[in-house]
Amino acid sequence: MDAKRLTSRPSVGTNGESKTAVNKQVNHVTSSKRFQASYEGPPPPEIDEEEFDEDVFLEEILGEEPVTDTGVQGIQSRLAQWRRPAPPQYHNAYDNIVFQQLEIDYIIDESSKELLPENKGPAAVLRIFGVTEEGNSVCCHVHGFQPYFYIAALDTMGIDDIPKLRQTLENRMRESGKNSRASVCVTDIKMVQKRSIMYYQKQKTRNFYQIFVALPTMVATCRGILEKGIHIDGIGSRCFLTYESNVLFALRFMIDCGIVGGNWIELPARKWHDRMDMRRLSYCQIEVDTLYSNLISHPAVGRYSKMAPFRILSFDIECAGRKGHFPEPQHDPVIQIANLLTVQGESKPMVRNVMTLKTCAPIVGADVMSFESERDVLLAWRDLVREVDPDVIIGYNICKFDLPYLIERAQALKLSEFPILGRIQRSRVRIRDATFSSRQYGQRDSKEVTIEGRVQFDVLQAVQRDYKLSSYSLNSVSAHFLGEQKEDVHHSIISDLQNGNPETRRRLAVYCLKDAYLPQRLLDKLMYVYNYVEMARVTGVPISFLLARGQSIKVLSQLLRKARQRNLLVPNMKGQLGQETFEGATVLEAKAGFYEKPIATLDFASLYPSIMMAYNLCYCTLVRPDDMKDLQLDPDIYNKTPSGEMFVKQAQEKGILPEILEELLAARKIAKEDLKKATDPLEKAVLDGRQLALKVSANSVYGFTGATIGQLPCLEISSSVTSYGREMIEHTKKLVQERFNISNGYQYEAEVVYGDTDSVMVQFGAPTVEESMNLGREAADYISKTFTKPIKLEFEKVYYPYLLISKKRYAGLLWTKPEKHDKMDTKGIETVRRDNCLLVKNLVTECLNKILIDRDIPGAVQFVKSTIADLLMNRVDLSLLVITKGLTKIEGDYAVKAAHVELAERMRKRDSATAPGVGDRVPYVIIKAAKGAKAYERSEDPIYVLENNIPIDPHYYLENQISKPILRIFEPILKNASRELLHGAHTRSVSISTPSNSGLMKFAKKRLSCFGCKATLSEGDQTLCSHCRGREAELYQRTVSNVRELEQLFNRLWTQCQRCQGSLHLDVLCTSRDCPIFYRRKKAQKDLSEAEVQLERWEF
Amino acid sequence: MFSLIIAVLRILKLSGFEAGGFVQLFGVLDEMEEMDIDVIQRVQATYVSHNEKFELKKQKYKGQQYSQLYFFRLTLTRKFLNPRVQERWPSYPVTNILGLEEGKVCVVIGTLYKQMKLKPNILDEYSKERSVVGLVAPSNFTDADDYLILEDESGRVKLVGDCVTPSVYVTGVVVAVCGQAGKDGEFHVDEILEPGLAPQPAIPEKKSDGDKYVALVSGLMCGGSDTNPLQVQLLVDHLTGHLGEVQEQSLSAQIVHIVIAGDSVQLQAQALHGQPLSSKEQHKLIEPVKELDLVLTQLASAMPVDIMPGAKDPANFSLPQQPLHKCLFPGATTYSTFVAATNPHQFELDGVMVLGTSGQNIDDLGKYSLADDPLDLMERTLRWRQIAPTAPDTLGCYPFHDRDPFLIEQTSPHIYFCGNQDKFSTRLLRDKSIFTGSKGEAVRLVCIPRFAETGTAVLVSLKTLECQCLTLSTSLLEIQSPDDM
Repeated sequence: MDAKRLTSRPSVGTNGESKTAVNKQVNHVTSSKRFQASYEGPPPPEIDEEEFDEDVFLEEILGEEPVTDTGVQGIQSRLAQWRRPAPPQYHNAYDNIVFQQLEIDYIIDESSKELLPENKGPAAVLRIFGVTEEGNSVCCHVHGFQPYFYIAALDTMGIDDIPKLRQTLENRMRESGKNSRASVCVTDIKMVQKRSIMYYQKQKTRNFYQIFVALPTMVATCRGILEKGIHIDGIGSRCFLTYESNVLFALRFMIDCGIVGGNWIELPARKWHDRMDMRRLSYCQIEVDTLYSNLISHPAVGRYSKMAPFRILSFDIECAGRKGHFPEPQHDPVIQIANLLTVQGESKPMVRNVMTLKTCAPIVGADVMSFESERDVLLAWRDLVREVDPDVIIGYNICKFDLPYLIERAQALKLSEFPILGRIQRSRVRIRDATFSSRQYGQRDSKEVTIEGRVQFDVLQAVQRDYKLSSYSLNSVSAHFLGEQKEDVHHSIISDLQNGNPETRRRLAVYCLKDAYLPQRLLDKLMYVYNYVEMARVTGVPISFLLARGQSIKVLSQLLRKARQRNLLVPNMKGQLGQETFEGATVLEAKAGFYEKPIATLDFASLYPSIMMAYNLCYCTLVRPDDMKDLQLDPDIYNKTPSGEMFVKQAQEKGILPEILEELLAARKIAKEDLKKATDPLEKAVLDGRQLALKVSANSVYGFTGATIGQLPCLEISSSVTSYGREMIEHTKKLVQERFNISNGYQYEAEVVYGDTDSVMVQFGAPTVEESMNLGREAADYISKTFTKPIKLEFEKVYYPYLLISKKRYAGLLWTKPEKHDKMDTKGIETVRRDNCLLVKNLVTECLNKILIDRDIPGAVQFVKSTIADLLMNRVDLSLLVITKGLTKIEGDYAVKAAHVELAERMRKRDSATAPGVGDRVPYVIIKAAKGAKAYERSEDPIYVLENNIPIDPHYYLENQISKPILRIFEPILKNASRELLHGAHTRSVSISTPSNSGLMKFAKKRLSCFGCKATLSEGDQTLCSHCRGREAELYQRTVSNVRELEQLFNRLWTQCQRCQGSLHLDVLCTSRDCPIFYRRKKAQKDLSEAEVQLERWEF
Repeated sequence: MFSLIIAVLRILKLSGFEAGGFVQLFGVLDEMEEMDIDVIQRVQATYVSHNEKFELKKQKYKGQQYSQLYFFRLTLTRKFLNPRVQERWPSYPVTNILGLEEGKVCVVIGTLYKQMKLKPNILDEYSKERSVVGLVAPSNFTDADDYLILEDESGRVKLVGDCVTPSVYVTGVVVAVCGQAGKDGEFHVDEILEPGLAPQPAIPEKKSDGDKYVALVSGLMCGGSDTNPLQVQLLVDHLTGHLGEVQEQSLSAQIVHIVIAGDSVQLQAQALHGQPLSSKEQHKLIEPVKELDLVLTQLASAMPVDIMPGAKDPANFSLPQQPLHKCLFPGATTYSTFVAATNPHQFELDGVMVLGTSGQNIDDLGKYSLADDPLDLMERTLRWRQIAPTAPDTLGCYPFHDRDPFLIEQTSPHIYFCGNQDKFSTRLLRDKSIFTGSKGEAVRLVCIPRFAETGTAVLVSLKTLECQCLTLSTSLLEIQSPDDM
């Protein structure tokens, strides 16, 4: 039994960063936020602790006077050709408007006089932005939906108390003084029969007050008043628990209208009103008003499962930074903006455009617009956005860099007309500060930009969220997913290119275009459009929430929808900062070793969701110990979980969480079956996206209950889940070993070698894969029968051979069919870790290949030895030794001295122009230095090392990089692994190169040495000493053979870079340090010129 | 038979074999040579080397890149192409790639880049883990999906059209294309125009009636495990006139020059790596070179010898390969008739222009394009006016920044040879349509086979440009005339 107790751990929120939005108007104390509960194993408890605060468009954003600008002269007609197709004439009397909605927000506006004649004063008007099947943009203003929340009525309170309550609340709201604009704050209070979702109750319903307020922001104020306590005449001072008071207004609307993210909405004929030209607020082609009750929301099935041809704009900007500084919007101009417009569903982009400051030579296949002033570049881009009217704006790191930069640059240039990029006329894009902090990425201040009506999708954020990669630069991400290297121009060169001529600016423009093109390629390749729209549909949140917010809102959205159907209410119970923790998952002790017989893996399919379903674990089935006496429950009708909690059985009351899970898993099953049947690649993409979204959602339900700072934590549920999980693993182990042994008539004795959260590894003892598979299947069936449905043990794969190092660390060849292994599977082994140098990765991979695939342990040992010998003899390529770390903050902020930070500082002193800045990745190698120097003092820039022949420190690499991973692999296999591998004869000879710039060398006089015997040559001699004369032919051959190899390498490396940059006639500029050949290229160049000098000495 | 014995004796003598009985025989041999009073005088020819452009001299790798080389190639070839374009398409405008307008017919001159999916990629070797190990490299990397891109200083454009045959062209060839740009940024080609052969000066009239020959040989592979040293010696003896009857000897006497086109030694490559060598290994390393020096010494004593480095020789890798170092040939260097030449090698013999390589240029074309035989490839290089178009893309070459030595700038050669081919083949290129001049120009194309495998050397007449093949084997000595002479 291995129970882990983690003390605290930074929460993982939006792409692994917790978000603390500034400018809040929420009453919650957001001081100390720590994540108390701990998890092990699945699901990824990516629960964020964000506040769901209202995000209101205040009236001040609308410019008072219509902005008078004519845009940039001369480009209007060019832009106009990229407009959307003209919309058909919709007639109110008989046309329905059907569109796919992509974004929903709301503004505070005067109530519509036509639609709601009796309402007065300001009200929240929802705006739905979408696209019709024909590709026309729609903005639909929805009126009449009022914000509300619930409180539980006291037993003594009845329908007669409503006026008093309302009056008291209204007065208190006035006192708070925030809501002067509205004439009435509390617009209505209704008495409803509902029940709380919390705890099992016999009583079906009770009295609740549904409190309607005028504006969404008042919900929080009102909630605060009620939670803190309110004095009502005749009742006294009371605190009220509020229900569903923390639901974002837009989400509230979607839930109540049955709208899920990205679904299709229909406005029936006669139920909508066209906005006449004068009253139009948006740039959308179709702008209508309607009442919320008129909307028809179509579930995403059949013809409503497809995507509208919405428009995706991918863009990238280039800025001319000053030497030595990362570009800052206050000083550095935006010099180019590249744009790529793609219509969803079409394979080729519709527009490829680049806007440049100063003239730029034309580019084939791209539309180049050149401007003389930066103002024109920015305004032209604004016009482009407005004309092409994208629904989705994508890019790489646009949310943190490109968009804020543009906005702030426009501010610096006093271009007040620039930031009207959204779909609302006269409305400026808003920018607000946000601070991200996490242990992983450090603290970073960033800006959040909101563009009304357009979804922002930052591919960087999505990739960071969904994939674990060693580097997230666009270059390495593209190399990873698209298999192509990208030219990387260092920002210090950009200014030079800009200040050159039209040709050099063209060069830059091509680069910029590629940066705009790659995010679109990634979007396509990773099927993000399908996956994210599917995710939004399944979980019911708007698409924009998926990247900007964490997992918990998705679960909350489903919970609220489900609760609504069941007439249940979700209380606003923030988690307390208690010390409560619960036991995590079980990891059976790993019997480390190298198993040369097949190991069958028995997996629980969706273990945690299954447990929740099997034992009906939910908020509404939980029986509090205190309630036990009152309820007088029969022991037959409830389960006591291994952790001691009580939940009633399904017959008594079906849990909501199990129901959500059932639906998710059932939908996933259907999606998977459809996927098998599907033939059309697009359809397949949609279905695969859907089944994946469903799986992730199912797994996040458990995490939701366990996040103590979450929306509705319930540790009774989560600790019960893990306790059941532990019990099942133990149970499985016991059954396997009891049944599959010789005394029961089986041929072999089964042994459980390891078990993790939801899987058990069994060595059945059978020598062949096929037999083991049969036994595995038999065991899975047999043991599954002993579990409550739907918990199911599945047999999927066999590892053969299997190298078990320790818990959570193993490697093996994976077989799913008896004929041939599928692949090598590793877990927790240094094949992908980012802070290791390539040498380690290659070494580990090669060793595993030799051990597992070739079954050649002596060969693997030999390989390790020869690699170590090469390292010590200075024969290892430098690029294999480069370690890379991201520089996340400036030096002073790091508590501990780190190698890469120290190096960045030293490089800044050497040459501030090319030194890495915050946000850059710093590559370094560890060099030989004075005895006792700390590792962080010995870091050095690989290029500097190459140029100056600085010796690297092989022992550092041997001890700090290679030794641990290698010993881990070999310890289960070899006796005395350490002595054998790390201290053998192969470690005895060491060769260190001589530095060419050390202090001492400056005093040394250089004398040539003999090619043959290395003896110092006397003055007259060039090549050989008198003793070696006569060996010319031999020694010359050796010199020339060195030159040959280097020439060959030089040629291959540099022509590869030419191919990669896509030009023969231009010099290669790329400085991508992520490229596997970057250092080699540099090294080949340098080595070759040195070798040439050697060769020249022969020309006597 | 008698001559064979003499040959064997000579070998034994020269290799310092001094067993008792043989010493006497050596005496006989010397006597016989002295007795031969009726000396046949070797004919001579005036020799001018044109290798300056291939010599690197003091050029260094100082961070230059390959773009300059392409730039010079394009600029110079454009000069050759311009008059031809004027003549062929007088009415169409010549533009650069940036100036292309959709739907407007025009002519563009640029460098071709062939996009090949099978082209080996050094990135794969570094980034892919295991798959590369143990794979046999295919001998040809062309694929049906290959396509051509035309590039000039201003940009690049994809070429489409029926006349665009990617299998024929390679990266680095400069051509003019006539056609029009399509909607999707592709260029629809109606016709491709190559630079065509350079003009050729007439061969000066010979005063004497007698013919003169240049001997071409390649792939001697001295010291190779499969090489028969006797075969090489037979060749030496034949060329130096120590073999055969008067008829053969008089033919030998007409050989005015011999060119050894690369791969003359087989090195023990593995011995070159790592740490100091034991004396035994040192011996192994220099033995082949010593053997070659012996051969060269004999040849140089009889006639002018040019030796070019090849892919397997102890010379640099990149083209143009620099002359083999003199320290390798202490014996032959003492003769003024011995010349270590560059590869490619260009020279003039009695006004006949000879140009050739040790074969790397043609071999590389063979990997990246399709042709029926190497002669076709050679012909293409002449028409492209570019003997090594794939340098630097797939063929290693020095990053020149002031010229492109592989361009055939002034004149087409009369004899164009290529060493180290599988078999002997030759053709007289005399097609009027491809010559820019009109006075019966012709180029003799010669593929020199690897001598170690075929025992064949090639003699080319300086008078008629006719070609004959000299095949030597240790069992038979014969002079063979090829069918297509």
